[in-house]
Amino acid sequence: MKAGGAVDATDKEASKPIPIPKVRVSRVLSVLDLTLRVVAALGTLASAIAMGTSRETLPFAAQFVRFRARYKDLPTLTFFVIANSIVCVYLVLSLPLSVVHIIWTAAKNSRIVLIISDTVMMGLLTAGASAAAAIVYLAHYGNSSTNWFAFCRQFNSFCERISGSLIGSFVAITVLVLLIIMSSVAISRR
Amino acid sequence: MKSGDSTTIDVPHHEASGGAASKGKGAILTVPARQEKGGMRRGMAIIDLVLRIGAIVAALAAAATMGTSDQNLPFFTQFFQFEASYDDMPSFQFFLIAMSLVAGYLVLSVPFSIVSIVRPHASGIRLLLLILDVVALTLATSAAGAATAIVYLAHNGNSSSNWLAICNQFGDFCQTVSGAVVASFVTVVTFMFLILLSAVALRKH
Repeated sequence: MKAGGAVDATDKEASKPIPIPKVRVSRVLSVLDLTLRVVAALGTLASAIAMGTSRETLPFAAQFVRFRARYKDLPTLTFFVIANSIVCVYLVLSLPLSVVHIIWTAAKNSRIVLIISDTVMMGLLTAGASAAAAIVYLAHYGNSSTNWFAFCRQFNSFCERISGSLIGSFVAITVLVLLIIMSSVAISRR
Repeated sequence: MKSGDSTTIDVPHHEASGGAASKGKGAILTVPARQEKGGMRRGMAIIDLVLRIGAIVAALAAAATMGTSDQNLPFFTQFFQFEASYDDMPSFQFFLIAMSLVAGYLVLSVPFSIVSIVRPHASGIRLLLLILDVVALTLATSAAGAATAIVYLAHNGNSSSNWLAICNQFGDFCQTVSGAVVASFVTVVTFMFLILLSAVALRKH
């Protein structure tokens, strides 16, 4: 491969990778940021709506068994709906700031503000989603030690609805983690 | 530490390529600014280390409190169970495992924090710590949230699904578990401050 000393030097110069301009990478990161923010907003919105409209009424009435189930019956699921709504509104409100970051890629303090608020919202969303997941697990399996009965056997479609609404929330959590990481990479690159 | 090290060590100059035009006036004038920025970053790295040690204590306290929360009631009958421990609930098992993982990660990240005190201009380490901190924050928050849901049920029960509040029987167990959840939330808040510190320290002017 080596033909000689001089040829070797020019080969090295020719094969040096052309550095990608910093502005280009930052702009790609900002566009990706905007896209992921929209995805997360849609995820939390879908979760909040799916949980909020979950309702089932059993077609018969017995004396001791409750025959109607709504998300309001469990305060943890109410907290889940509220947390998802708050995070959805926050993500929609942060879209203009994200657009500003595409145009003005040198912004630093506004990215830090975005990181802080993203972290706080991610904490809120994670707490709500994992609390709801614990309740949904109890609804599926119950707990024999504490005599907590698994009501999924009675309320099938309600159970399916509340289980499925967790998915959008967890997707939004992953997206928020990616957003925080991307914003911090963008800060450290300038 | 000798402050002269920050000017003599061969750290790659990320600022030099972008700011060469602005620094063209005089290299002598910009050296104190770099030293001052290094000093500020070093201060933030020291606060980072202190917060990290605090978070280790909180996470270990949460895991230990949850792990040793057993209660046996002093009487028994034929049909009812009169002992409660974290084993009975999968959410508490998850809480214990997750808080132990978080405590282990924090202990392993202390050397990285010390390195970022010694070299205040190395931003790669800070970025790595920030990314891993975000992942650990998610883990800690989800453990705390799941345990809180169960503790809330244990305190208040739920009339719609006929779930009885077990705190009326197992008072000590309930208190211990609630204390563990509080400690885990302290860890979560500390993580948020750590992430904030790393993000502010990553800026380059």
